[in-house]
Amino acid sequence: MNIANLVKYHFLGKILGKIFLRIERKKGEKKIKKFTGKNSPFNPPLKITAYTKEFVSSHYLKGRYVEGVKPVAWVTSGAPVEILKALGFFLIYPENHAALCGARKVQMPLIEAAEKEGLSNNVCSYVRTDIGSLITGETPAGKLPKPDLLVACSNICQTVLHWYRMLEKHFHIPLVIIDTPFIYGEIEEHQVDYVKKQLENELLPAAEKVSGNLLKERELAKVLKLSKDATELWLEILNLCSETPSPLTIFDQFVFMAPIVEMRGDKETVDFYSAMLKEVKSRVNRGMGALKKERKRVLWDNLPIWFKMRELATKFAERGICLPISTYTYAWGELAPLMDLNKNEFETIAKVYLSPILNKGTGHKLNTMVNLVKNFKLDGIILHSDRSCKPYSIGQLDQRNKLVKEHGIPALLLEADQNDMNSFSEEQAAIRIESFLETMGV
Amino acid sequence: MKIPGRIETILKFKEKGGKVAAVTPYHYPKALLRAFNILPVELWGPPKQNTMASKGHLQTYVCSVVHSILNYYLTDGLKSVDYVLVPHTCDSLQGLGSLFIDFFNNVNIRFLTFYLPRGRRSADLEFTAKEIEKLYKELASLTGKSPDFEELFLHIENEEKAVSVLKKLLRNRRQYNVNDYAFYKFLRTKEYLSAEDFVKFAEEFENKFKTEKPLNETGIVLSGLVPEPMEIFRLINQNNAVVSGDDLSITGRRLYPKGEGNSPFVRMAKSLVFSPPDSMRGDSVEFRLQRLLSLAKKGNAKGVIFFIVKFCEPEYFYLPFLRKELKEKGIESIVLDTDINENLSQQTITRIEVFLETLT
Repeated sequence: MNIANLVKYHFLGKILGKIFLRIERKKGEKKIKKFTGKNSPFNPPLKITAYTKEFVSSHYLKGRYVEGVKPVAWVTSGAPVEILKALGFFLIYPENHAALCGARKVQMPLIEAAEKEGLSNNVCSYVRTDIGSLITGETPAGKLPKPDLLVACSNICQTVLHWYRMLEKHFHIPLVIIDTPFIYGEIEEHQVDYVKKQLENELLPAAEKVSGNLLKERELAKVLKLSKDATELWLEILNLCSETPSPLTIFDQFVFMAPIVEMRGDKETVDFYSAMLKEVKSRVNRGMGALKKERKRVLWDNLPIWFKMRELATKFAERGICLPISTYTYAWGELAPLMDLNKNEFETIAKVYLSPILNKGTGHKLNTMVNLVKNFKLDGIILHSDRSCKPYSIGQLDQRNKLVKEHGIPALLLEADQNDMNSFSEEQAAIRIESFLETMGV
Repeated sequence: MKIPGRIETILKFKEKGGKVAAVTPYHYPKALLRAFNILPVELWGPPKQNTMASKGHLQTYVCSVVHSILNYYLTDGLKSVDYVLVPHTCDSLQGLGSLFIDFFNNVNIRFLTFYLPRGRRSADLEFTAKEIEKLYKELASLTGKSPDFEELFLHIENEEKAVSVLKKLLRNRRQYNVNDYAFYKFLRTKEYLSAEDFVKFAEEFENKFKTEKPLNETGIVLSGLVPEPMEIFRLINQNNAVVSGDDLSITGRRLYPKGEGNSPFVRMAKSLVFSPPDSMRGDSVEFRLQRLLSLAKKGNAKGVIFFIVKFCEPEYFYLPFLRKELKEKGIESIVLDTDINENLSQQTITRIEVFLETLT
């Protein structure tokens, strides 16, 4: 380990960085006050909101100085990170980074740069954003640390496998693929066995070799417990949104979910969600909702349209439409019960990472939506038909028809994209949302 | 040569008491189906359909192959089949398989799936063997048959022979005095003929078209999923070029090596897992690059046409790297987006013409 890097990491990434981010937090708190003034349809956000930005940014800040201090792995959002965490890896999630670019609305020049290099505009916009960032060196995170290892898990889509092949070629470093067979029905023994073997025989040796550390069972158990605790807390927070009025909307959740995606397995993440839970509970007890007036409650299906978050949040809030839950945010909590700490860790990890909603059939997603409608007392559903995410979007036309015809739930299909503004028509979206609200009597 | 068409083949097979499985693209244990007296008939569309029916179920950003398959099913094109097998090839076919199973209740057709891993490691091999065994059990339960190892090995050998014949035909492409359209029309009979029939007709083909004077047109490598619309071949030949290297999913990417082992499941698994480099299997850029370079060298090809079905994401990823490195090695390339339900656009035709002119 390089001493100079170590000093930089601790001094700049932790001490000075912390001070800087705290100042930024104060500025953020002032902005929030403006956003939630007297004429705003929103109640004041959770106190923890401004800290969330500080917390997530601190991860990226540390990342700027982590090279040479800790081994770095770039991983997909559904990768079994507990093993890597237990080996001391610092993790970067290119998908989250792309989402960050989208939310900050800096993604389009990056997308254009990737397309200029020959990447088709029919490729996922997260990929184009991230590859564009690699090409240009531009990122709202300041700088991303170069990876020593790449880990791609196919449980969210096949796209990530190809994406990581590109990264492998770019960085000339080892890539471990964890292939998770798609679950059309119930999980079968040979599927669990297959994933477990890949964890034990592919991921572990590669990660141990790159990190120079040997996995300690106690450390893995500790990380897994922290991961489970954070996931359970997140689920508990989301379930409180079934209350009327809902203490949070999905637009809050899309921001608050960052740590559960990219920092699960850390103690700070458990502390973060514990504090959030306390605040959310207090709001529920006081009957304070995210919106001042909640007329109807609607489910959101699929990823957010990152570059339209604020506009959509305001548009819905002004009409008294609360979106208290989404299949996407819920997906990061619903696996908590599967995290059985009494079983072999690798088997538990294999089962959990085979089970995300995106690795299961369209019927499973329909059932999830129907259950959410019932449990969260919802009046309608908006299905974001996301051009960039085929596994999430295919099946939505039938799901919508069944929701309307068989379950009597108003449902809207909204064509857009998670990051690519060129695939979003402002006018068309406005018309469709208006018509949908009319059918719900708003 | 009088080769029976798909419908004729299906009807004849059924008349003799066999069952038929429509199989979507594209890696699957063919011999296993044959051992159950099931004729696999591959569905690569069919092309040139008006996909109004599928548009009620799939978004417009899903590729035309998947649209066509669903459209064909919804318009009763599959009414004479007993099973539909959906290998897990990509996110879109995964979605289609799920739609079939979850939402399209059909008492006459049984939907089956098959997952071929993306890797070539020992765990992948072991899993594939188990996945084939699982399919065996499902078919045994559906048909009431339990073919023994001897029967399975017999069909494995038949399929291996058919693959080696296909390999030979592709390797010797320049020695057949026939245009690309006719050549590929014949190769594609393998999508529905039994292995035995394909081998028999291949012999006839060879006897009829083999020439002493090899074709000396400019060679090109054709890469992509499926060469639809097939007019592409006429256009290539009209411009004094010939497809001398095949990196297509319908053909070249399925030149499986012979498997080995005492278990038929392991033998089939080995054959499938160690298929040639393939975008759909998530192979590395380097692996695919070496394959293309080798095809270009063996076929004396000067250029590569990436003939991509629009929205086929796995194909797109590799292109920036592959094209750059091919160019560095002196091999030009072009990317064409196609829709299997549409004719080649005038713009595409012009682009191909200009590209081929630059090579000759």
